[in-house]
This record gives sequence, structure tokens and C-alpha cells, in this order.
Amino acid sequence: MTATALSRPVARGPSGRRRALRRLAPLGPALVLMVLFLAGPILWSLYVAFTNETLSGTNSVSPSFVGPANFVRMFGDADFVNSFTLTFVFVVGSAVVGQNTLGLMIALLQRGRSRATRSTVNGVVIAAWVMPEVVAALCWFSFLAEEGTLNTLTGIGQEWLYTAPMVAVILANVWRGTAFSMLVYSAALSEVPAELVEAAAVDGAGTWQRLWHITLPLIRRSIMANLMLITLQTLASFGLIYTLTGGGPGNASQTTPLYMYDKALRYGEIAYGSAMALVMLVIGALFSLVYLRLIKVED
Amino acid sequence: MKRVLIASILIIGVAACGSGTKEPAAGGAKELEVLYKVETTWPHLEKMLQNAKKQYEATHKGVTIKLTPVQGNNEAYYTKLALLNRSADSAPDLYYHDTFQVNADVAAGKLAPLDEYLGAWPDWGTQFPDSVKQAAKGGDGKIYGVPISTDTRGLWYHKDVLAKAGIAVPWEPKTWADVLTAARAIKQKAPGAIPFSMYSTKIHGEAATMQGFEMLLYGTPAGTLYDETQKKWMAAGKGFTDSLAFINTIYRENLGPKLSDAHNAKLSDKHTLEWFPQGKLGILLDGAWTPSAWKPTGAKPWPEWQQKMGWTRMPTQNGQEPGAVSMSGGWVMAMSSYTPNKKEAFDFITTATNKENSMLYSVGTGDLAPRKDVAADPAYSADNPSVKFWTELAEVTHYRPAFEEYPKVSAEVQEAMEAVTTGARGPEEAAKAYSDTLPGVVGGPDKVVAGG
Repeated sequence: MTATALSRPVARGPSGRRRALRRLAPLGPALVLMVLFLAGPILWSLYVAFTNETLSGTNSVSPSFVGPANFVRMFGDADFVNSFTLTFVFVVGSAVVGQNTLGLMIALLQRGRSRATRSTVNGVVIAAWVMPEVVAALCWFSFLAEEGTLNTLTGIGQEWLYTAPMVAVILANVWRGTAFSMLVYSAALSEVPAELVEAAAVDGAGTWQRLWHITLPLIRRSIMANLMLITLQTLASFGLIYTLTGGGPGNASQTTPLYMYDKALRYGEIAYGSAMALVMLVIGALFSLVYLRLIKVED
Repeated sequence: MKRVLIASILIIGVAACGSGTKEPAAGGAKELEVLYKVETTWPHLEKMLQNAKKQYEATHKGVTIKLTPVQGNNEAYYTKLALLNRSADSAPDLYYHDTFQVNADVAAGKLAPLDEYLGAWPDWGTQFPDSVKQAAKGGDGKIYGVPISTDTRGLWYHKDVLAKAGIAVPWEPKTWADVLTAARAIKQKAPGAIPFSMYSTKIHGEAATMQGFEMLLYGTPAGTLYDETQKKWMAAGKGFTDSLAFINTIYRENLGPKLSDAHNAKLSDKHTLEWFPQGKLGILLDGAWTPSAWKPTGAKPWPEWQQKMGWTRMPTQNGQEPGAVSMSGGWVMAMSSYTPNKKEAFDFITTATNKENSMLYSVGTGDLAPRKDVAADPAYSADNPSVKFWTELAEVTHYRPAFEEYPKVSAEVQEAMEAVTTGARGPEEAAKAYSDTLPGVVGGPDKVVAGG
């Protein structure tokens, strides 16, 4: 950066400013749209989180300002803490470990395979991704239900969705979301120069050594970007869990988005729900910062 | 977001016209939006409203009825209605309303009192019994809805299953212990049948609180959620703990359905569409409407039900006076305070609740008819021999303390029930958790008294 600035001192000044403007101009329409459609709701939920607004009853028409009471309540609320832990398990299990590793593995295995194999595998994996969330959840429901495919095939009488709800939703989410990671990694791997890998092989590096010392370092930025995207997606995941287990049994699979929905829309505590949404927003932002930071450090 | 979009379109396009809320359209054409609930297995209200729309539009030229259905269960309906009601723009003019939600909406000023119109409607004075008129009475003494249905609750049982377990039918349990004894006998002698079922998990929402918990609590000595004399909510006392202990016994002794079924949103369909017709359920704690699914036009026609099924009163805990317990609720047709066409809207309420439509609804749903002329009509009880029994339960029935806080208290009750159902907490522990959270839910420790 400094080197560029030093070698081209003329770039500063009026013409530079004009160029910066020209560069930003294409962002204009998007910014206007975002302000128009998103600023209102975001500011509103920010405000509501500090009131005692409800969906019906007196507080729905004349809510009062309660300061940080909702946030204080949240940290003493065992159900919230439970939902938070489950969200963490869900994100790490299904996104960071599941989708990420499986996506990378499929992408690696596909290198150098015939066109037919690749399109078949791609087709199958992407089909799961294209499927609407609710349909995917229903597929898994009929697979895992007591009289479902899995039990019929194996002859086990296990009520999976009841005995292992978190495993069920994590599996379903890995199955559905792997395609995204696979596509990101396929694209990244195609950028890895074949000569480098070959040269390493000639020098006697084994498969694992080539992967660890050549391939992974070369695609590390894609890994970070992919991790960031899938973490944010999974953090907010709602439809899949809602359809599959409804957060139950009890609250054994009630991640924070489901708990938020329950409180805000079923029990009408809009203010409390908004406060939780804000906390989730902050956590999402923290995750992104960490990933962005990691990308920078590697540069 | 929608509002922002609409607002921006309005600003750009018709800035000069002004945009009042819900003003009658120019030219005298008026539209009344009616919000209601429909499920594939429950089309009865829709049929009734379509009939009422036809009748109404024939006699009210220039007024159109717009029927807006909400697909889904009661919980989904409450949420959707509450969301639409947040703004005068989106609020429906008329809506099907559960009586326990009425007070919250009265407090928020979302409902229009009907007294001035009711006085001029002869049917109100002649056809609606006084007890039924109270259904949608606000804290201010005004009437906020015309009853469409009312109901009572008790026990349904399968005669073959009980006979197999060596229990004489007709079965008339006198205490909770009698009910549990029968359930244990079924478990032992009629394997393959679920001895006893009830709603006891959060997913069943108000059905769990009312059909399940309150049917137990209000049958204990001094059991109630709300102390009418002191005007305070009751913390969990002995009756509360005993009611939870009953549920605990059902699930710990495996007298109930499997836990996955207890948590199944479609448990009610399992009862009526599968288990009872197949003879796989012994006893069910539920409402008067249960056989509506078995009618020739129902979701699972089962003409034999009249011979196979029995019905009896839910006993009080130890058989103490009055010997049985029932809970009553019901639904009303209510009018939004935002509607500019109140006279026309009230006319639609009277059409929807006239004798013909009231009959159509009651015969379809199996709910008890609020109107005297319907109840007296032989066609009403023609193919349902249980109607008389359920109507007479009105003698022992209780109403919910339908105050503004009630829905939140109900949610806490469900929390306690579910904890006991899954075994996460014992009855005492769950009762204590209820007492601990209650003050926060009803607005402070000064609004709570110790439970009896």
C-alpha cells in the first residue's frame, strides 16, 4: 500500500477524489435500497429491544422504555442460555465441521475425475441445496421418523427425532448445506497451479503433505470466506429445525432463533425477542470480524 | 417493511390525495374483511362464513364481505391475528376470536363494544342464555363479541378396550384414583392399547393448559389459578402440585402415549383419526367436539363410534362436591375498533350467528350451540347421542380467568406440565419453578398470593 502511494504521489488531489467517487457510484443504488428498506426495521428493532412492547394487550399500544432490562433478563434466563449453547453446537457441528470439511473433501476427490462422475456428484449434492428448506426438512423427517425409511431399512425401533434431536438437525443441515462449500472449494481448487503440486510430488511429497503444504495454504482465503458465510447462514437457520423438531422435545433442540420466535411471536414478547435478535447480530458480527482478521493476518 | 414500501409509493404517487386509514371507498362501495381460521381437517367455520357471506351480500347491496382465512392451528391463528391487529391499516374489520384473548384486546382498545347494537337485536335477548352472553364480557362490563360456540370437557373412552381390561361399562370414575386404576388395568390386560391420553406439552398450547391441566387443577379442593376475592393470581399450592403429580404418574408409569407422540403437534389427529377408531386408546381427556371427525362428512368417518365410544364426567380429585369438573371456553365473532363501518359489520355478525349458520357450525364442529333455538332443534343432536351429556356438564363447568395476563400465565403452566411430562423436573420442583416465575409474568409480587 505505502509503496503504491509513494510511487504515485499525483494520485492524491481533486482527480483522485473524483476517481474515488466514480468507484463508489455503482454502490449507490444498493445503498439507497438498503437504507430505504432495512434501516427502518433495524432501527425499530433496536428501539423495541429497550421497551416492554408486546404483541397484544396494553403494552402493545403504549409500551414504556425499560432500559437494559431485557438484556439483564436474558442472561439470567436458563432457557436462553440453553438455546445459546445449542446454537453454538449447531453452528460448529453442522457448518464449521460438517459442511466445511465434507464440502472440501468432495471438491478434492472430484479433481481429475471424468466429466460424467463430476456432473453426477455435483447434480446430487446441488439438488439437496436447491431444495427449499421445508421440503428438505420433510425429507429428513420421513427418513428419521419412527416409521420412517431409516428404521424400516435397519429394523431399529428408535425414535431418532426424540432421542437425538440435535444429531438429527445437524445431519440434515450438513446434507443440505454441503453443496455451497463444495462449489466454493471447487472454484478455489481450480486456481491451484498444477505444476506446483506436480513439482512437490516429484520432490517426494506424499498426498497429505501436498494437501497440507501446497493446496490448503493456496486456498486459505477461500476457506476463511467460506467459513464466514456458512457460519452466518447457520447462525440464523430457522426453517429446517422448526420443521424437523419444532425445537423439541422440550427445548432439546431449541436454538436461539427458535427461542426468539417462540418468545416474540407465540408468547407475544416482541421486545424480549428483539433484544435476543440484537445479541445474535452482535455475535454474528464478532464471528465475521474474527474471520476477516484471519484473512488479513494471512496476507 | 411492507409499510415502508406502501408509504414510499404513496408519497411518490398520490401525495395530494392524502391517505387516511380504512376510509370507506368513494362511490359507496364498502368492503368488510373477516379473518378466520381453517384447517384441512376442520373446514366447518369456512363453510358457515361462506354461507353467511352469500346471505349477507344478497340483502346488503354495495357491501362486499372479504373472507380471509388463516391456515393452521389455534396458536398460528392467535399470532397472525395479533400481528395484523398491530396497525389499523392491516386489522380485519371482523374476526373469529378465542374468548380468552378478548380481555387483552379490550385493554389495548382493539375491540369495539357491541352493547348499543345488541340492544336492538331481538335474538340477543331471546336466544342467548345469560351464561353464554358473559363469554366475551370485558373488564368494563361491556360485551365484545357474539358467541359462535361454547364447549365443555370430560373423558372419552373406548368401550372395547375397557371391557378387555375387565372394567364394567358404562364406566363412571368417582376420583382421580379410579381413573388411574382403570388406566393401570388397561396397561396390564389390554396390551397394544394406550391406556390414557391428554395434552401436556407446550406444542399443544392452550389445549394443554385447558383440556389438560385446568381439568385437573379445578377438580382439586380450592384449586384455581386466580383468587377472585383477593383479585390476585395464585402461586402453586397443593392442588397445583397434585395436578402435576397426576401427569407425572401417567408418564412415569407408562400409562400415556409415547413421549414422541406427546410432543407431536398432530396428537389430536392421532386420537381421533387413528387410535380410537383402531381401538388403540383407552381413555382420553378432551372436549365435547371430539366425535366431529367421525361424522360421515368428517375427516375419518366412523359410524360405529356411537356404539364403541363412551363418555363420562371427569371426577374431582377425591370425589368431593360437586363430584365432577369441566372447563368451558368458546369462540366469538368480534368487531375491530378500527372499522369505519360498524353498523354494517354488526349486521354481518348477526347474519353469521343466526339460527341457520349457528346450526351449520355446531353440527359440523361438534361444539355446543350457544343459541337456544339451535340446541332445541332435533337436527342438532340427531346423529350425536353425546350432545345432551356435554350440554349438561354446564352445571359443573368453570371459566378461565381470562384477564390480560392469562395467556402468559398459561404459557408458564405449559412449561411446568412439559417438564413433568418429560421427567426433566419432578412435580414439586416444577410447581416451585412456576411460583418463582409467576410474579414476573403478572406484574409483581403484590399481584400474587400463596396457593391453596
